[in-house]
Amino acid sequence: MKKLIGLVLLLALLAFSLPAQKADMNAGAGAVSPQTPLPPLPLRFDHYYPLDQVYEALRLLNKTYPALTTLEEVGKSDEGRPLMAMTVNNPKTGPALGKPGVYVDGNIHGNEIQGGEIALYLLDYLLGNYGKNEEVTALVDRTSFYVVPVVNVDGRYHFFADPNDPSSNRGLRIPTDDDHDGLIDEDGPDDLDGDGNICMMRKRDPFGAYKTDPEDPRPMVPVKPGEKGEWTILGEEGIDNDGDGKINEDGPGYVDPNRNWGFDWAPPYVQSGSGEYPFRGIGLKALAEWTATKTNIVIGWTFHNNGGMILRGPSRKAVGEFPAPDVAVYDYLGKQAERIVPGYRYLITWKDLYTTYGDSLEWLTQTQGAYGFVAEVFPAESEAFRGASEKPEAPAGEPGLGAMLSGGISERDRLKFNDYLAMGELYKPWKPFKHPAYGDIEIGGWVKMSSRLSAPFMLKDLVHRNAMSVIFTAKNAPAVSLEVTDVKALGRNLYRVRTRLANSKAIPSMSALAQKNNIYPKDMLKVTGDSAKVLEGGLINDPYLDLIAYKKYRPELQFTSVPGFGKVEHQFLVEGKGTITVSYDSRHAGKITKTVELK
Amino acid sequence: MNHSQRVLTPGRLALICLLSLTLQFSDASQPAAAAQASAAQKPAPAPQPPASPSSLSFDRYHAPAELNAALLDMARANPGFVRAQSLAKSPGGRELLLLEIGPEIGKTAHSPQPTNLANAEQIAASAKSLPAVFIAANMEGTVPLSSEAALYLARLILQKPELRSDRTWYILPCGNPDADSLFFTKPLRQDPRNFKPHNDDMDDQVDEDGPEDLNGDGIISTMRVKDPEGEWMPVPGQPRLLKRADWAKGEKGIYKLYSEGIDNDGDGLYNEDGLGGVNVGTNFPHLFKFFGPDSGAWPGSEAESFSLMKFMDEHREVGLTFVFGETNFCLNPPRGGRKGQADLNQIKIPERIASAFGADPARTYTMAEIMEMVKPLIPPGMDVTESMIAGFLELGAVVNPLDDDLKFYKELSEKFKEFLKTNKLDGKRLDPPPDKDGSFELWSYYHLGLPSFALDFWTLPEVKEEKAPEAITADQLEKMTKDEFLALGEEKIDAFLKAAGAPEQFKAKQVIEMVKGGQLDPKKMAEMMKQMPKPPSAEGADPKEKALLAWSDKELGGKGFVDWKPFKHPQLGDIEIGGPVPYADNTPPPAMIEGLLKGQVPWVFEVAKKMPRIKIASVEAKSIGQGVYEIKVRVENTGALPYPTAMARRNERILPVIVTLEGPGIKIVDGKKRTLIPAIPGFATQTATWIIQSDKPVKVEVKAETQIAWRDARTLELGGVK
Repeated sequence: MKKLIGLVLLLALLAFSLPAQKADMNAGAGAVSPQTPLPPLPLRFDHYYPLDQVYEALRLLNKTYPALTTLEEVGKSDEGRPLMAMTVNNPKTGPALGKPGVYVDGNIHGNEIQGGEIALYLLDYLLGNYGKNEEVTALVDRTSFYVVPVVNVDGRYHFFADPNDPSSNRGLRIPTDDDHDGLIDEDGPDDLDGDGNICMMRKRDPFGAYKTDPEDPRPMVPVKPGEKGEWTILGEEGIDNDGDGKINEDGPGYVDPNRNWGFDWAPPYVQSGSGEYPFRGIGLKALAEWTATKTNIVIGWTFHNNGGMILRGPSRKAVGEFPAPDVAVYDYLGKQAERIVPGYRYLITWKDLYTTYGDSLEWLTQTQGAYGFVAEVFPAESEAFRGASEKPEAPAGEPGLGAMLSGGISERDRLKFNDYLAMGELYKPWKPFKHPAYGDIEIGGWVKMSSRLSAPFMLKDLVHRNAMSVIFTAKNAPAVSLEVTDVKALGRNLYRVRTRLANSKAIPSMSALAQKNNIYPKDMLKVTGDSAKVLEGGLINDPYLDLIAYKKYRPELQFTSVPGFGKVEHQFLVEGKGTITVSYDSRHAGKITKTVELK
Repeated sequence: MNHSQRVLTPGRLALICLLSLTLQFSDASQPAAAAQASAAQKPAPAPQPPASPSSLSFDRYHAPAELNAALLDMARANPGFVRAQSLAKSPGGRELLLLEIGPEIGKTAHSPQPTNLANAEQIAASAKSLPAVFIAANMEGTVPLSSEAALYLARLILQKPELRSDRTWYILPCGNPDADSLFFTKPLRQDPRNFKPHNDDMDDQVDEDGPEDLNGDGIISTMRVKDPEGEWMPVPGQPRLLKRADWAKGEKGIYKLYSEGIDNDGDGLYNEDGLGGVNVGTNFPHLFKFFGPDSGAWPGSEAESFSLMKFMDEHREVGLTFVFGETNFCLNPPRGGRKGQADLNQIKIPERIASAFGADPARTYTMAEIMEMVKPLIPPGMDVTESMIAGFLELGAVVNPLDDDLKFYKELSEKFKEFLKTNKLDGKRLDPPPDKDGSFELWSYYHLGLPSFALDFWTLPEVKEEKAPEAITADQLEKMTKDEFLALGEEKIDAFLKAAGAPEQFKAKQVIEMVKGGQLDPKKMAEMMKQMPKPPSAEGADPKEKALLAWSDKELGGKGFVDWKPFKHPQLGDIEIGGPVPYADNTPPPAMIEGLLKGQVPWVFEVAKKMPRIKIASVEAKSIGQGVYEIKVRVENTGALPYPTAMARRNERILPVIVTLEGPGIKIVDGKKRTLIPAIPGFATQTATWIIQSDKPVKVEVKAETQIAWRDARTLELGGVK
């Protein structure tokens, strides 16, 4: 059973969509008006925000902090809902593009809603503490934040509005003929008992493969050879809408929004759910085009649930491990994030989780040149029901992905958590139902707002810690200083000028990967003067032995990058007099200008 | 900046000179044509006198705007069955106009919205029922002849109603109009990139260092500069051609080569960052090359390519594609031999997954075995497909044509060669270049699962190699006696000396005297020969350039190759400018266009005839009493091509044949209302059976439906309970 849970979880994460019944597709499309007015700021994190409240919260933040925020509609979703992004920047300290950019998104999978709350919390925290807390103020003054709380706006809308299970409504609302029968989205699950949840169906069957757990009347366990069965599990709530002998095999969608990005995209027979072509998702394409204009994005975070993981790329082995200097940066940041969010593990996507093609992490890393992390929030251990002196249960079955995702927490444990900490709200006890095809059955099991979602009382802790991971990495965005270390007169109007670019933070001014793939120009260091001419210029390999790698053409312009916690030094031979200007221009580390007298 | 419109007239003139064609079109037509093209977007184009397709002439090449104007003329003249629509606008501001010809131009084929059984019928009624053929021409924009071929094809279809009675034709004459415009622009240069700004050299400026026509001949050719570090040398015997010096042959380079121009940005590089961004022709997802200099950031990054991916998704009626360009899948089947393709009969399961599956990571499994392993682990209600498992195990993409599909490619290749022979176009010519990674033709086969064909229409004739006179080798010489050597005679000895690379003054007469006089003998000569530097060889010369030179001298009066002439370069000093003329190797003189197209374009119709065609061969009803009948429907594919390709069976992109049975009040006892037949090979038949019951006499309608292989229906009358 544990092995089974692991595998089911794993497959659910991979691709399975067992989506809800056909929803009124126009309901709420484009609607931004709130159902209920929001309380004043700060925002509360003891509940989850339906999509319209997310929009409203963003508007409230924007209205409250107009000087620091810009709220933009990046584009429209496949069903026409606005995809909103908030930029946090202090224009008094310079334009957003002139500072290191931190990109944060959430809820790209429609059901993985916590990301939306983490993004809102981060915004609320940064803005609310600006001018109050010195560190936050300094961070906001030198960094721009690009925050997209809900990427899959249609998914979030339908997850709240429609009957669902915890894993459904993950995908984009792109009609897809999942069962390949020429009819589209014609047989999704049905909320037979009308309780707003898609639960499980079971039928009493002496030949069934399951029996009631002897310790708890709710879960079932597989029968052992020779034992009498009690139950056959019929799958999720639903009927055979199209009469093809299958139940719930073609629900709304399904294109996985995190497999449809342009980098390393693969067709659906290679990568399930990838969509007919890269950026088939209209909102995704708009978002990608929007982020492409944010050339300063140096760090990217994208929030998912669940399992308690801080993942870095590559997402696929064949894409190739990142260059060693980048790995060192990831390790530094990732290991610290593990401590900030206890119970989370810092892992490599393809190696420790699974292979994906066309995901947004790889897009951020490979085409934007950012350092990207995916956080799979909410480890299963959060729902352990165990005293401090009690031994942890043995890990579930064999070690592996399933065990990692289930965290060694059994269904019995989780039911006790439901009983004693959630007052039974996470699980529907089995109730009889008359099914048109199966006759007398029972419906029950975990409800929509369970399993992958933290109970609201734990939400505040979850959003705070994850936001702090973002803030830790943001603090490590490159902070480059420029110093003219030496001006030495060599006679005959000739001067030797030495410069130093130093980075006091962990993240380099350009990733080694971006340099390797030549995706955008490197940082530029330029020496100019009205009455001065640069005769030679180059990188100082050794200042003591005077080993300079001179650049033959255009010596006044040097292409460079500044490593994390490191420096680069250049030497110029300048002929002339008066003032010279040394300027540094970096996509990720901003611009600096210094002037110095030749004397 | 629109290059072609800025310097249009001189560009054309240069071309006209170059290919010695007669001037047929007036330059004033260009702005008018452009205006017409931009009218394509508007719902009601300004009324124009209808132009009959016969006014099209194929004695010249048509610039992008003229191609569009021709399509609009066709649509205007034939509103009942021709439509022109704009797919996208290139970064250079040129419309990609798509021509649609067929009986269903009024019907949309767009993806239906979320639906259920209730509106399925309605959607089916508005969707196209006939299959379509898609022709994508000049995707790299470097092959003007391919655009002419597309126009020619359109004219043939307009002229012959029988060609358009039962299918839709989509014809895109130019998928990369920015690049194509270069052919009509002075100075003449060839570049497959569209005009999206791109910082090729990753410096502080964009598109700042393109080529210049220094010698003012209207052509961007090659600069050769004498340089001790040069890698290039003249080809012995053909001093106009250059080859890379091979040190192993004792060769030393004397030239550096650059394209014609100056170093505008002073970085020591010449023409390294000119106008041009992405090669549209290689911007499709199959084997897309990331980080290539002209690849684009992702497959579909360009408006041109993205619009085509979107179109193909929305138009599932397309069942066959042709690319007109430089490759030829009709002559040579798509190539295989790429590494890294998973064998579905020998799959290894990684250790970390094997335990969950209960599998042995050390051995291999078939896909069917893995499916069996996974099924019991999956709760009911979940479906597992091969593609899901393949994705999970990272089996990756198919990269070589599947054997079943190669069968039809090979068969059609033989037939095409006969076709060319009949049309007297089977002369020996250079091989068309192989398919490119990221191309439309590969995407169409591997991702869309369609029979994907490509046609080129011309390459340079093969040069007949003159056999070098047989020279005597050192080894042979060593074994010769004096007399045997002298018996060769003066002529042969001279030839041998020349071949051996002996100094000029070393003549046969002298050598004969020396051998006679005993100062020299064959053995000694063999030793000397072995010590001598190897003679320069013509090996390493580009066969295409050789063929071009021969073609230029013979057919173009030398206009295909610029003779090297000295030039004073502002930065490089004394140089020479010359070399191959762009397009001369892939674009024949206009007088040849019609002949080449007439004999090759109709092959498209031969292939189109072989498209799979689904028919109901027979419907049988056997009464088994009490109004119960066994219904047997035989569904056949009367086409030669399979329904669908093996690739489509692998990637599951093409729907099965859907066979339905409907009649008022009938009850299906056994069988499904929608019976799915996944595949029917060429000329093959498959059977679907039902048991139904009807108390009353009833008419039962049997339908077999496909999106790309037509559809068929039959009515069956049943007597009911008597």
